[in-house]
Amino acid sequence: MKVRKGADRAGFAAVGLLVVAFAVFFLLPFAGLIDRAAREDGTWDAMTSATARQALWLSLWTSALTVVIAVVAGTPVAYLLSRARFPGRALADALVDLPIVLPPTVAGVALLTAFGRRGLIGEPLEQWTGTAVSFTTAAVVMAQVIVAAPFYVRAARAGFDAVDVQFERVAATLGASRWRTFARVVAPQARSALLGGIVLCWARAMGELGATLIFAGNFRGTTQTMPLAILESFEGAGGLGGAVALSVMLLAVALVFLWLFRLVTR
Amino acid sequence: MTLEFEAELALGSFRYEAAFRAGEEIVVLFGHSGAGKSVTLQVLAGLLRPERGRVVLDGAVVFDSATGVNLGARDRRVGYVVQELALFPHMTVAQNVAFGMPPRADRQARLMELLELLGIEGLGGRRPASLSGGQQQRVALARALARDAQVLLLDEPFSALDEELRTALRRELLRLRQELGLTIVFVTHDLREAHLLADRVAVFDAGRVLQFAEREAVFRRPSSRRVAELTGVRNIFRGRLLEGDHAGSLVEVEGLVLRCGPVPAGSQGGSAVDVCIRSERVNLRRTEPDPAAGGNQFGAVVTEEFAYGSTHSLQLRPFGAGPAVESELAARPYEVLGVAARKHWTVELPARDLHVMPVE
Repeated sequence: MKVRKGADRAGFAAVGLLVVAFAVFFLLPFAGLIDRAAREDGTWDAMTSATARQALWLSLWTSALTVVIAVVAGTPVAYLLSRARFPGRALADALVDLPIVLPPTVAGVALLTAFGRRGLIGEPLEQWTGTAVSFTTAAVVMAQVIVAAPFYVRAARAGFDAVDVQFERVAATLGASRWRTFARVVAPQARSALLGGIVLCWARAMGELGATLIFAGNFRGTTQTMPLAILESFEGAGGLGGAVALSVMLLAVALVFLWLFRLVTR
Repeated sequence: MTLEFEAELALGSFRYEAAFRAGEEIVVLFGHSGAGKSVTLQVLAGLLRPERGRVVLDGAVVFDSATGVNLGARDRRVGYVVQELALFPHMTVAQNVAFGMPPRADRQARLMELLELLGIEGLGGRRPASLSGGQQQRVALARALARDAQVLLLDEPFSALDEELRTALRRELLRLRQELGLTIVFVTHDLREAHLLADRVAVFDAGRVLQFAEREAVFRRPSSRRVAELTGVRNIFRGRLLEGDHAGSLVEVEGLVLRCGPVPAGSQGGSAVDVCIRSERVNLRRTEPDPAAGGNQFGAVVTEEFAYGSTHSLQLRPFGAGPAVESELAARPYEVLGVAARKHWTVELPARDLHVMPVE
């Protein structure tokens, strides 16, 4: 017994040590950011610059639009994947997960080959309308949707899977339409999964860099979101100090939004 | 309110074929699990589409394979309580019950009425998870009734409850049928429950209705050996029909000639028949066998005895010819007769309780 107890205690200490090390590993970079931002002279100027303002605003509204598109189009897809039995369902499942696995740069290249000036439908579309969608703000949203929406679909699908089909059958015998059944019986029970998916999707959209860079480019005011502005600053005139300032700004805004979301949806 | 049901379907290797009808009464679908009872409810509710058949609720055809009519579940006025209840966990009791209510001005009044009817008026604001099993059961019943359903389908609704609660809810159900003039289709595999609640019983086995009749007929006069087995008849003997008509018959069982009930349609003298008698119908006498009673009275010795508390069951072996018999006695007569102290008895098998069945 005594030996067991000693072993237990040692194991407990080991786990505790791991947890602390893990936490420190995650917290240190943030501490570094804040430390550097406080010591740099140009921090405030960089944060209040037109570039920063434009990039932040663009990031916020494009990511919000991405979430709306993901929810509106992704919810039916997730529900179908959860409930319907059709040939090729496993394949459809895998296709939804594919963008999650691929590097965003691949998604960017793929978008370009489809919607770009020389793309599959980009080329005829340009000949017909005179403009191409690549390297516009619309391209920013498209890049975010392809990279971020699968996260929502995946979470929503898991949420629907967890709701017993029996509830829908009973709702039907109570005279409820399919829509009413979904809105009043299924969705509320999958609520936390759906909200989790929204947060995941939004966070992924806010952080989107690779696909945007390739498919939408890096044009201040139209396609330069925060991650792109940070990259440009890091490589250009702003140097590390500028990148740190924008990073802290993005971090703070993201933190506030996530916190507000928690409050509102509790 | 009336109900006509006739359906045929195949689920994998499971073939299902059943037909019955009901008025304002409780029809119990009785059988082992997998016999087709729940399938019947799903077809009635419109959740499962049969290949062939016809379902008529209150004169309205809701399914007819011949004419292609098939109303969906939401267009049939049936209250369906599934075995797991499936109360909506994110809604209050009141919201659950009101879910299926047609949009009317007096919704609130109707809600209160239903909650009161089932004795859950104080629970309107609670969530299902905070209720006891019996309370959840009442909420599920109220919700099913809220649609002004005239047909109530209940799938083993009391199976998860303890005996005391089951008794209370069974009483409730009998009251509801009385007050609301409902047609209730009740699925159970519990013999006692079936006996207590049923006006009529449909005995299911392997996807078929073996017998559909008044409760007493099913329990006293099963249509076949299988029905007798399923309904808990312990004494079933293979015999040879000697003679008889619609009034009574003579059947030879293991060398003993028994006076029995009427001859079943289709059986003739000399043909093999099954004879059964419920163990509680077997009498024990202290007197010597009466020669006038013929083979229906014979001497026997107790070989085994089981005490179930309220009843006792005895296994008896005849001294001479005749079948081994099980007799069941209530605790009181068991004591009054002094059964425990005596091993030798005269067994009496009353002719009117010996039911003759054709051999399939």
